[in-house]
Amino acid sequence: MHQNSILLLFLALAVIAVIVFTYVYLSSKNAEQSEQGMAQPLKKRFWFLLILFVILAIFASVTIPKSPYFLFADETPAKIVHVSSMQFAFFLSEHAIDPKNPSGEPIELPVNELVEFRVTSLDVNHGFAIYDGSNRLITQTQAMPGYVNRLRYKFTEPGTYNILCLEYCGMAHQIMRSSFIVK
Amino acid sequence: MFKNIVFTIITIIFALIANAQTASTGMEEESNIYEKLFDVPLHVNDGQQIAFSTLYHQKPLLVALIFTRCSGICSPFLLQLKDNVQLKPDDKSFQILVISFDPRDDLEDMGVMARKFGLENDPQWVFAVTDSIEQLNHSIGFHPVWDSESDQFDHDALLVGINGEGYITKKLIGIRKRHDLDLLISSVNNVFSPTYRLPSKNSLFSCFNYDPKTGKNTPGLGLLFIALPAVLTVLLLIFISRVVHNRLPD
Amino acid sequence: MESIKLRKITSVWILAVFVLFIVSIILGILMRLNQGGVINQNPVTFYANMTTHGLTMIGIWFVAGMAAINYLMERYVKTSYTVNLIALVLTVIGVLMFWVSTFIGKFHAAWTFLYPLPFKLLGAESWSTLLFLLALTIFGIGWLIWSVSLMTQILRKYSISQAFAWQHFKKNPSVDTPPFILISMITLIGVIASLLAAVVLLALLFAEYFSNGSFVNDALLMKNLTYFFGHTIANEMLYLGLAVIYELFSEVSGRPKWKTTWYVALAWNCTLVFILTAFFHHLYMDFVQPEGFQIIGQMASYLASLPAAGVTVFSVLIAVYRTKMKWTLTNLLFFIGVAGWVIGGLGAVIDATISNNVVLHNTLWVPAHFHTYNAMGNVLFSIGFFYWFSTQFAENIKPERFTKWTLATLLIGGAGFLLAFYYGGADSIPRRYSVYPAELSIGAPWAVVGAIFATVYLIAILVFFYNISKRCLKILSSPS
Repeated sequence: MHQNSILLLFLALAVIAVIVFTYVYLSSKNAEQSEQGMAQPLKKRFWFLLILFVILAIFASVTIPKSPYFLFADETPAKIVHVSSMQFAFFLSEHAIDPKNPSGEPIELPVNELVEFRVTSLDVNHGFAIYDGSNRLITQTQAMPGYVNRLRYKFTEPGTYNILCLEYCGMAHQIMRSSFIVK
Repeated sequence: MFKNIVFTIITIIFALIANAQTASTGMEEESNIYEKLFDVPLHVNDGQQIAFSTLYHQKPLLVALIFTRCSGICSPFLLQLKDNVQLKPDDKSFQILVISFDPRDDLEDMGVMARKFGLENDPQWVFAVTDSIEQLNHSIGFHPVWDSESDQFDHDALLVGINGEGYITKKLIGIRKRHDLDLLISSVNNVFSPTYRLPSKNSLFSCFNYDPKTGKNTPGLGLLFIALPAVLTVLLLIFISRVVHNRLPD
Repeated sequence: MESIKLRKITSVWILAVFVLFIVSIILGILMRLNQGGVINQNPVTFYANMTTHGLTMIGIWFVAGMAAINYLMERYVKTSYTVNLIALVLTVIGVLMFWVSTFIGKFHAAWTFLYPLPFKLLGAESWSTLLFLLALTIFGIGWLIWSVSLMTQILRKYSISQAFAWQHFKKNPSVDTPPFILISMITLIGVIASLLAAVVLLALLFAEYFSNGSFVNDALLMKNLTYFFGHTIANEMLYLGLAVIYELFSEVSGRPKWKTTWYVALAWNCTLVFILTAFFHHLYMDFVQPEGFQIIGQMASYLASLPAAGVTVFSVLIAVYRTKMKWTLTNLLFFIGVAGWVIGGLGAVIDATISNNVVLHNTLWVPAHFHTYNAMGNVLFSIGFFYWFSTQFAENIKPERFTKWTLATLLIGGAGFLLAFYYGGADSIPRRYSVYPAELSIGAPWAVVGAIFATVYLIAILVFFYNISKRCLKILSSPS
């Protein structure tokens, strides 16, 4: 859903840009020698900038609070999942994962409850991206060696969710994957 | 021949790099996090018996696992902990439980230990033994190994943070800096930090250090490296401008 | 004005850029065909080609911009032919080393070579990482010498405050800073900063490589440095193209030359600051980066669009709107390029919004937007300059037939190839996948569509190449 509205917004803006540039180009093509171009350009430039600034400011103030770092920060997760990624596999476990002998287990998560993924990497940078049942990317974080990223999410739909690696990590990057079930 | 030598050297370098990378992740501290502590009965200082849960319901706990006959790390570990805690006399948000994992220890041994460190009358410190140490060790993920030759346990210096609901929030292994203790204290008080570093030997160049007291990140040496290119560019600009204008006074 | 030597070396740059461009486009088409299941490459070959495609493209459009401003700068200040030649020689050596590391050594850590991947490649020759790092070092040295030399030449004539056009903030400035000098200066500062970031990055990589494992880098620091270098140089090469537009657009249109005003000076000084902090938007999904930096990343990305749109784009529109002017291929390419830059910028601002980035980061949306302002923006700026340059010295140029058709081919090919990327991105298709997993098989038809339209785009580029290189070769063979 989110992606579709983003695409629509982009396409609408791109079409507007194309129309403006075409219109301006045609106005030059059809111009008489005597025409003076734009009247009071400085004033128009000022208004254009001001409107653009206001739009961007509104857009920023609406979107920044929705950043993943601020979501669910005050709640206590019902479940913790440890994630260790390495070339080219994810290990998911409800217990901490030993880096010298990593192993995982099948994961089942509760629906409509807060889940925290503690994501790290044992070798290179990886991505930890969660795809829902209709193969939409719904959230993600990076897996960085030496650091743990805490990704919090509430799954509202039961089903199987796939995990893909979204940070290029070498020759088998495209087959690095895992999954879990939400019930 | 030469090719083989180069190959061997490169392989060794790679193996060492790979080894250093895995060794530095320190995942042992991650085990059993957010798991509930096994509720064992404790014998505390004055001889009374209370449940572990009674203790953590009063206040979040920092649990230090030691044994009194230890000839190794236990004493310096406790001393360091005492020093660090005494540097924050106003923070009474937690209690410290020193518990022995050696079945030979009794309350008297623990009393001697408390006196040795001058903590016998400090209400923030509780010294205890338990009859169910196996279950406690298991639920914490602590595995001391008895070495009959040296008559000692081979073990880590482990400090565990337990919040008011009895969940393990964080662990520290080894003698650690005050900063790490602060992180532990804030974790038992359920302060959320969106991320944390795993302990590693290369923290020298880290960009940020999370300060649990203020809940903010403070710049680290690594940040200097990020700013360095911009700073160097400005210096270069000024330097070149000086040089060319001194040479050509026009 | 400019010497015959400069004329010749600029021709060599143009020919080299075109040849490398065509090879890189072909690699790109092969990648899309592989993703579409039409051909079947070994993943290591695919990723090695991806690495070649990425770094070659970044490299050639950077040097194309540099060669263009070097050529035009001769109108204001004397530039060093020797340094230009050194940069050319080192670039050629660097490209040869780099191509050996990828084509033969199968180095495949992508052009961003994100630490510690270069040290942990499977399926690549063990020497390829060192060769790749050395190639980067050669590029770094050559380009650093070049940009510092150009900056020095500007500073010989203009003081720091004049080079940044600060006197234009006051009324009636005594000295006029040409917009070309102002933008070149601002851009060179960014270029030098990004190259110095690469120097720090390479030093840390070499330190780890030769330390026998006793020195291990911090992954977060390395990622910040990687994008300080990578983002900034990719962004600045576009601004090199804008410097050319400020200089040439009015000239080829037969209109009065653009002047630096207080708002032009202000806009470009602001751009300098925003551009050096916008790279933080590459680390949104690294929650380890403090939130403050993430918000700076979004703010800087948004703010960078204000001077760009409000001053440069608006100025181009004002210059054209209801104004009778001479339209040639050069200013037409500039004009279309600005439109491509705007559309790519819209895609970029959308992606630079943290809450959108959660579902767009490292999907095809990313190559979608940067291909828009490169393939349909920066490339057109540079080809516009190449065309203008090549016609400067040709006798009785006949207006080329089929120019309209070539442009139409370019536009159709570009638009189709980019839309396939955007739709793929909105379908959550990951970037940098040699093939797509079964549940994302929708990515394959989009990839085939992309490959077909990219081939159409390539045809238009070949026509430009034929026409322009013909005249460049004539410049090279003329007596000196």
